[in-house]
Amino acid sequence: MENRIKEIRTKLGLTQEELAKKVGVRRETIVFLEQGKYNPSLKLAYDVAKAIKMPVDKLFLLEY
Amino acid sequence: MTLKKYNSIRIVVAMLLAVLISQSIVLRNYVLPIMGIAFSMGLLFYLRSKLKDEVLADERDYTIGGTSARWAIQIFDVFAVIVMIILYAKQDLNPSFLPVAITLAYSVCFLMILYALIFRYFDKIVFLTSRKVYAVIGIMGIVLIALFGLRLFSGEDDWMCQDGQWVKHGNPSFPAPRVECTK
Repeated sequence: MENRIKEIRTKLGLTQEELAKKVGVRRETIVFLEQGKYNPSLKLAYDVAKAIKMPVDKLFLLEY
Repeated sequence: MTLKKYNSIRIVVAMLLAVLISQSIVLRNYVLPIMGIAFSMGLLFYLRSKLKDEVLADERDYTIGGTSARWAIQIFDVFAVIVMIILYAKQDLNPSFLPVAITLAYSVCFLMILYALIFRYFDKIVFLTSRKVYAVIGIMGIVLIALFGLRLFSGEDDWMCQDGQWVKHGNPSFPAPRVECTK
């Protein structure tokens, strides 16, 4: 699943570590999320979206 | 206390515990490792409480942990069964192969039952509505314990202490005890 976490995070001037702290996960999880190598739970997806102030459906792009 | 420091302490504690347990086995002291484990657990719980605003594990770790546990169980089961069959077949070469094979067999059974129970516990919807599953597991547990108990406490095929010497009673599948016979 593709996402725009890295793009938005960079725009907001947040580091991966800072975003991880805001969301309550380890930095490695943010790295894997950004690379699209990990599909988050619904809760984590909403937590990330909330942390970077972006609607979840605009942040995660599901390919069919 | 930082996460890095906590992880370093955890590794040191694990290493010390390994040394303590190996030495306890050599010294045949079973109180020492229990005390060591209890102390280590207490220490790590205390240090963990000092970790504030640090994430030790998140949902990705739990997902990976679940997959790793399933893989580990499957690999152990296959490996243990193969070794068990080889040891069982080669018991004529060395009588101590048989108890090792039996221990492996029980370990595999126990691990599989434990995994199934824990899995079903978290999969409550199916498990808790089926009394038959409880009954089958209960009967299996009783049969296993009874078999193990019969084997262990029957007194048949064992070593007996007579006049300061270990004497075979039946045909024990394991070597004579190493502790001194004083009767």
